[in-house]
Amino acid sequence: MTASSQSGGPDAAGARAAAVSIVSPARATGWFRSQSSRRLAFGYLLLAPAVVYVLLLVGAPFLFSLYLAVSDANVGEQVSNFVGLENFGAALESEVFYVALRNSIIFTVVAAIFKGLLGTSLAFLLLQPFWGKKLIRGLVVIPFTLPITISVLSWKWMYDSQFSVINWFLHRIGLIGPYGSADWPIWLGEPHLALAACIVVNVWRTFPFSAIVLLAGFTSVPSEVLDAARVDGTSFMQRFRYVVVPMIAPILLIGFLFDTVFTLSDLSIVYLLTQGGPANASKILPVLAYQIGIQAGALGRGAAISLFLFPLLLPLMILLLRNLKRRED
Amino acid sequence: MAAPRTRRQKEIRRHLWIYGALTPYVIIAVFPIYWMVITAFKQEPDLYRMGVFPLWFHLPPTWKNFTYLFYNTSYGDWIINTMTIAAWVAVITLLTAVPAGYALARLRIPGSENLGIAIFMTYLVPAIILFLPLSRVVAMLGLQDNWWSLVVVYPTFTIPFCTWLLMGFFKTVPMEMEEAARVDGCGYPGALLRVVLPVSIPGILTAVIFAFTLSMQDFLYGLAFVAPGDQKPVTVGVPTELIRGDVFFWGSLMAAALLVGLPVAILYNFFLDRFIQGITGGAGK
Repeated sequence: MTASSQSGGPDAAGARAAAVSIVSPARATGWFRSQSSRRLAFGYLLLAPAVVYVLLLVGAPFLFSLYLAVSDANVGEQVSNFVGLENFGAALESEVFYVALRNSIIFTVVAAIFKGLLGTSLAFLLLQPFWGKKLIRGLVVIPFTLPITISVLSWKWMYDSQFSVINWFLHRIGLIGPYGSADWPIWLGEPHLALAACIVVNVWRTFPFSAIVLLAGFTSVPSEVLDAARVDGTSFMQRFRYVVVPMIAPILLIGFLFDTVFTLSDLSIVYLLTQGGPANASKILPVLAYQIGIQAGALGRGAAISLFLFPLLLPLMILLLRNLKRRED
Repeated sequence: MAAPRTRRQKEIRRHLWIYGALTPYVIIAVFPIYWMVITAFKQEPDLYRMGVFPLWFHLPPTWKNFTYLFYNTSYGDWIINTMTIAAWVAVITLLTAVPAGYALARLRIPGSENLGIAIFMTYLVPAIILFLPLSRVVAMLGLQDNWWSLVVVYPTFTIPFCTWLLMGFFKTVPMEMEEAARVDGCGYPGALLRVVLPVSIPGILTAVIFAFTLSMQDFLYGLAFVAPGDQKPVTVGVPTELIRGDVFFWGSLMAAALLVGLPVAILYNFFLDRFIQGITGGAGK
């Protein structure tokens, strides 16, 4: 603009340009400032509904759950009193709480190991180029895409005490005796089998998720990087260890943390299969929190139990947060 | 001639190996669905027979289990409830998440990255921690035992997820068009409405699909907030209302499960990669 006004002759266009260049420094900052404040105002206006919704229905309820946990709130009564740490104390004194805590941890850890193994092996197979990959991938991810309560129902029928198709198969290959014999397993009715049966459903449901996350990680490694490493004379194991693993580790970590949060806090599998039975053998913390908080109506007690999940979840969420932030930078 | 043939044979052998290795995974993944299908079409006496091969029909297949659902249970109501809830949740999610995602991605708000992450993190505050306080909120709003309570509650997870997803999406829309529109005198709202939104239809559609499929994955909220049989969404009604005490009508139970499960699974299947991108940091890309 200035260049044109300097080089321009005394024609109309040049004069106009010169006039603009004289007034523009002062006006430009003003224009820019008003523009950026207008932009920000518009931005906050657009953000407001989502932020307000989340604050009102996630933030406030979370704080409210802290309050519930130190009160004697009950479903039937409007008024509640502060009772200090009584609810937490009551939980820590009850035997079923420890059973549920232990089962929750066993459930999450054992399920994670099997999901990891199945998911990794599946991901390596799906990495190969082969004909019909899309179809096969579409089939193996079905467990993850099916609504959870729907698939749990199917499993409940497969675990039927008498007409279990799993038992039919095990009997056919000679691993167990006929119905009524001592080694005919009643998956959901025997204390030492119930939790395992629930873990199987969780593994079945989420191993495709592990595989797909791993695949996403592998495909995010640019082939140029691998080629460059190959040119540098590295071995396959070196490339895997020093190039592939560091590049996919953040994605894997996110997938893992994500799944752990959901596994630890999910009640639907256990609730629908066993309700935590027989005799609390498969009771996990979410089921206990539901049974005390809603079924027994003791909101305070229930909130205290579900908050015991929080110390388990918090480190995971902090890890996840740090990971996401690093990816943003 | 010999070389291409052996190469082809090698390819075939490699394929056989891969298919062979994948077969157990496919069987494990699909068998429960096959079992659902075969059960749903079996006649009652065919289901409960010991000593016969259970994976196929021994009596002619029947539609009876399906018709029973629609004539003798609230199944039709539940499907309507679910569709209505999902539609409302989608509307609420779009009205909040589209503007928020756009603002975070495009309007250079200070600290927008952190704000985006903070909103996404609320997606990870699990229902099991929120359902008790939310039950009080629902009661305060006078919505207990009514499916409207779920319309209010489901956006607590669809808004964070879809905001994050759309934030990633809006970052990929080319900036120049928007600036050109703004220079042409549209202003920020005009540029958003006339230029950005029309080219963002695919992203917005994805958000609608997730508002729908994520709503279908809920169990706890529906179980805790809606007790009357005819108010339940289908994913809660089927497992709680169709099972009465110890009596299981597996034929119609599986028919009910199949009829909802399969369409959702297929729909979700097409959008699964978007979901994975979303949670593994789509906004960074």
